[in-house]
Amino acid sequence: MFRRIMRPISPSARREERIFYLFILPWLIGLILFNAGPVFGMLGLSFTDWRISLDDLQFIGLDNYSKLFADPIFWTSVGNTLYIVVGRVVFGVSFALLLAILLNQKVPGIAFFRAVYYLPTVTAGVAVALVWIWIFNPRLGILNHTLKQIGITGPPWIHSSTWVKPSLILMSMFSVGPIMIILLAGLQGVPKELYESAEIDGAGNWAKFRNVTLPMLSPVLFFVIIISVVSSFQNFTEIRVMTEGGPGESSNVMIWYLWKHAFIFLNLGVAAAVAWIMFVILMALTGLQFRLGRRWVYYEGEAR
Amino acid sequence: MSTKQLSRRNFLKLAAASSTGAVVGYLGPLSNIASAQDTVELTFGRHWEAAFRPRQAEYDEGFMERHPDIKISITYNTWADHNNVVPAWAAAGTLPDVIYVHGSRATPWAHEGIIIDIHDIVVADEEFNVDGMWEESVRLYRVNGRIHALPYDHGPIILGYNKDMFDAAGMDYPSEDWTMEDMAAAAIELTDADMGVWGWDGRLDLGNGGGGFFTGAWGGVHMNEDETAMTMDTPEVRAALNHWYNLTHVEGAGASGTEMEAFPNSQPFRAGVAAMGHIATWSTPSMRALANFEWDVAPTPMGPDGSRYTGAFGSGYGITPTSDKPDTAWTYLREYLSLDGMIFMWSLSGRGSPARPEGLEVWLNSDPAPPSGRYFLEAMFDYAVTGPPFQSLAAAQVSNILTREADLLRLGETTVDDAIAAITEEGNAALDSVADM
Repeated sequence: MFRRIMRPISPSARREERIFYLFILPWLIGLILFNAGPVFGMLGLSFTDWRISLDDLQFIGLDNYSKLFADPIFWTSVGNTLYIVVGRVVFGVSFALLLAILLNQKVPGIAFFRAVYYLPTVTAGVAVALVWIWIFNPRLGILNHTLKQIGITGPPWIHSSTWVKPSLILMSMFSVGPIMIILLAGLQGVPKELYESAEIDGAGNWAKFRNVTLPMLSPVLFFVIIISVVSSFQNFTEIRVMTEGGPGESSNVMIWYLWKHAFIFLNLGVAAAVAWIMFVILMALTGLQFRLGRRWVYYEGEAR
Repeated sequence: MSTKQLSRRNFLKLAAASSTGAVVGYLGPLSNIASAQDTVELTFGRHWEAAFRPRQAEYDEGFMERHPDIKISITYNTWADHNNVVPAWAAAGTLPDVIYVHGSRATPWAHEGIIIDIHDIVVADEEFNVDGMWEESVRLYRVNGRIHALPYDHGPIILGYNKDMFDAAGMDYPSEDWTMEDMAAAAIELTDADMGVWGWDGRLDLGNGGGGFFTGAWGGVHMNEDETAMTMDTPEVRAALNHWYNLTHVEGAGASGTEMEAFPNSQPFRAGVAAMGHIATWSTPSMRALANFEWDVAPTPMGPDGSRYTGAFGSGYGITPTSDKPDTAWTYLREYLSLDGMIFMWSLSGRGSPARPEGLEVWLNSDPAPPSGRYFLEAMFDYAVTGPPFQSLAAAQVSNILTREADLLRLGETTVDDAIAAITEEGNAALDSVADM
């Protein structure tokens, strides 16, 4: 029956299929061994009392998950993570889009500015974080110094429970180089004829942006939103170097909570459970984005 | 608990093998081949910063000259990462033979089988004078009464002061009979908000070394003796923390957490803008190098009833279960942690805090030691107590809670009552969670 449903495949198509699998085989092996393998291995370990040694593991069922759900600090870390993810994605993608539009203009020296805005991306994360510690320094930092020049007393930034998350979001906006480049490439791919047609119809700049640029850029935007969400969940360096989850628990995000359980408290089973919860949340959010994407992402040539 | 000991049988086997090697050594042309083959590589996981590594290399070269059959190989971690790297090594089965063990890690690492029980080998070695170490320092590494590592340093936290600032204000230096009230009064007088100068550096530690500086003076205790319950919800601890809070946030005589961040390593005292601060022997080399003012130390001020208390803490070395040559590791440690070894590494180098009183005596004559450095020695003899938590498997969690609440207090984002309530509730929950482990 299955054979009747399947369309017959020609010998050349079969050969092409074999060559395809042969070429992706190294990547496939890597994916299974170094990505999928550990992910599912971690699932198994999340049901154990794993601390350091793998020799005397005891199966404890859902105990690690129960402990997590009963720990108010875990829920604080979930809330902090979502706060920072939303902030980074909304402000980061918006800022990257704004930069991409500016850097898409035909003005002299534009290549220089493109390089400057991409520079933080090629700098080591720890170095960037150390620089930002000084930028955010309440007494000596350049940020509060600048604010003082215009009569504003700056906040304590990362040294305040209220300000630490906005500070981290603000900082992330200066590392939008990769998504800015992707959006810039997307902007340059928008056919000029569409803008010309819009102009003939009397469209102004805002109308062109809203009715031409955004729809044509929507597949690229969709992609950068997904990778921004994923990378925001995995944001560890800044927390490790700049705040260590503090003050209090105000910047304790899930990845930091996971790391502390693994390497400070030696509760590797609990850390494995956190890793799996993060994985499930990320998969759910990505699935949701694909579902919502059907409403706003426009693919040229796609039949609706 | 997973532990590994050097059994007498293995010890005899290795001794026999060594004797055979010595006999073979006399066999003329064969001796070179035999010694090359018998060289044992001893691996270490340490954390010294670059400036102190030459001293370590000098010691190790001397050791290898005395023991040509042992070759030393070191992996250096950063101080910040060492405690995270070691569990990863352990999980991967790649631990070196000997590792640095911070006092707070001895119990969990012994429990997880990262360091082995060396009690028998230590007490059986009559030439190694374990009783000559501060008992408070060895206490850190006794797990269920058995020694699992040995200290190289251990020191108390006492009062440091900026002599230039006292001189400029025409005030007497802190004296032996100072109380916490005297210290607070002097701090308030020395504070000049317009000049950005504080009388006190504002520091507040609630765990380990600096943990009891304030609370102990009032008779407060953070945890019960066997570290199964938090004991901070008492009038004594409340009074002590309120004293600190008033001094820092009400009188403004101590730098707040935000203000501290303006200075390297968050240390306004070392930066010369706070007249007094906590000081440990291990911080004296950096004071010597970076403080551009005259400074000295005084005993920790007494509490309202005249009692004196401070916390002490330290670090040591342990042998790992993956080592297949624990006897060789002990050959190294017994010399390294002997009085001579400590004097070379920590006394004459000025590094400070050797875990033997005689070593600390020698250190008093080194360059970094302040003029009144003997107060460190007196503190160790008279009133310093190893600060909890270090015996519980939840020590890391409890330390984390204590540090977090101390940070919030320094920032002025919580009250003393709320901090004590949070520490008591969360600390007891963490301790209960390991009760049956």
